[in-house]
Amino acid sequence: MNSIQPPSPRSLVAELTYRCPLGCLYCSNPLDFAKSRAELSADDWSRSFAQAAALGVMQLHLTGGEPLLRDDLGELTSAARACDLYINLITSGVGLNEARLGALRAAGLDHVQLSLQDSDETAADYVAGAGAHRRKLAAARMIARMKIPLTLNFVVHRLNLDRVGAMIDLAAELGARRVELASAQFHGWALLNRAHLMPTQEQNDRAEAIARLAAKRLRGAMEVVFVRNDYLAGRPKPCMGGWGRGTIVIDPTGRAMPCQAAASISGLEFPNVRTAALGEIWRDSSVFNAFRGYAWMKEPCRSCPERERDFGGCRCQAFALAADAAATDPACELSPHHRTVISARGELSERTTPVYRTARSSRDIIRRNNSPGG
Amino acid sequence: MNSDAPGREWRPRLAAGVRLRVDPADGRERLLFPEAAMELNETAAAIVRLCDGRRSLAEIVRELAGRYGTADAIARETAEFLGAMRERRLVE
Repeated sequence: MNSIQPPSPRSLVAELTYRCPLGCLYCSNPLDFAKSRAELSADDWSRSFAQAAALGVMQLHLTGGEPLLRDDLGELTSAARACDLYINLITSGVGLNEARLGALRAAGLDHVQLSLQDSDETAADYVAGAGAHRRKLAAARMIARMKIPLTLNFVVHRLNLDRVGAMIDLAAELGARRVELASAQFHGWALLNRAHLMPTQEQNDRAEAIARLAAKRLRGAMEVVFVRNDYLAGRPKPCMGGWGRGTIVIDPTGRAMPCQAAASISGLEFPNVRTAALGEIWRDSSVFNAFRGYAWMKEPCRSCPERERDFGGCRCQAFALAADAAATDPACELSPHHRTVISARGELSERTTPVYRTARSSRDIIRRNNSPGG
Repeated sequence: MNSDAPGREWRPRLAAGVRLRVDPADGRERLLFPEAAMELNETAAAIVRLCDGRRSLAEIVRELAGRYGTADAIARETAEFLGAMRERRLVE
């Protein structure tokens, strides 16, 4: 059954912790993160880095939660560099100071990707559910001053898309080499808050045009990348470059997954790096093989020439919107479930209150899922 | 002549945060930066290896000419490749 020989994985996403000082409305961590207990030790991570490098991984993304909340981040960075991995730190910047950043650089850190929520302080702090914007700006300036290459990432959505011009200007002023304007995609917390975040088509098109012009104007100075929301794309994105084709995600408790949202698909059993070797997980585990190749596909994907480009889109989105992880991603206009996406486009209700990604709301969600009626 | 074309006296080097390393999977060299591990063909890898901030573009071309093609072809290819790389801020 597992006859498909997978290519080598090229990147490892290490979610070092679910702890985070922010509560962003679109956080990519699972809704039930609060049930997680012990985080992997530095030894567990070091072993995983070495196993990943031996498998062919060259790039490591240290993320969370907020990875700076791991006191052993320097030790982890050294361990990764010892395996010759390219190390990208994905951070809110909250808790960064010059001594810490200098130590990380000395340990082998290659690059920092800093998240900003908006160009406007009040709006940024509203989305983050915390007063963090000013500290982030200070962190960005510190990174640039220390000549560490910096990418700024803005998650964009209805509440901030009208300010992409200002965001790009801010990124240039802060000395970023690249700015990503990545539309919130509706998984987990963002799906819960979709009515607040869903952009209008006109808003998206305007923002995209501004980004395109800025990309041209800033060519050679700063790279500008805009990623459209799946619901407005017409065709699905090649999510993760295909399931189990290039990326391994390890969550804070050691579960190995093909993508950061994979745990939202019920019925999948995730192997744990505490008890299994990464090579075995990559090649043989049922979860990494679940959606490899094309045999699992249904129509219209199965006979579609696009399947080799988009791999049927996102499995987590198919599960969330079509209740079937093997279905065509409903973001595709050819999907029989595409109408769920179309009707969500008009979803501009602000009657609901937004749900921040906090341990308390996560515990509420867990309780509701466990209650007999829920 | 395109005003963006690299000058012969430019001494290119890899930008901060960009690394060249051998991919153990196939023994080929790849350029690593946060978004990608870029595959390099033999000529591209040879060009990048010489981007040490000391050699000028003209010197790089001189070293490669003969090995990878005629001087004219190498001069054109090297300038094009490094110009595109500079645009992406991978070399400076």
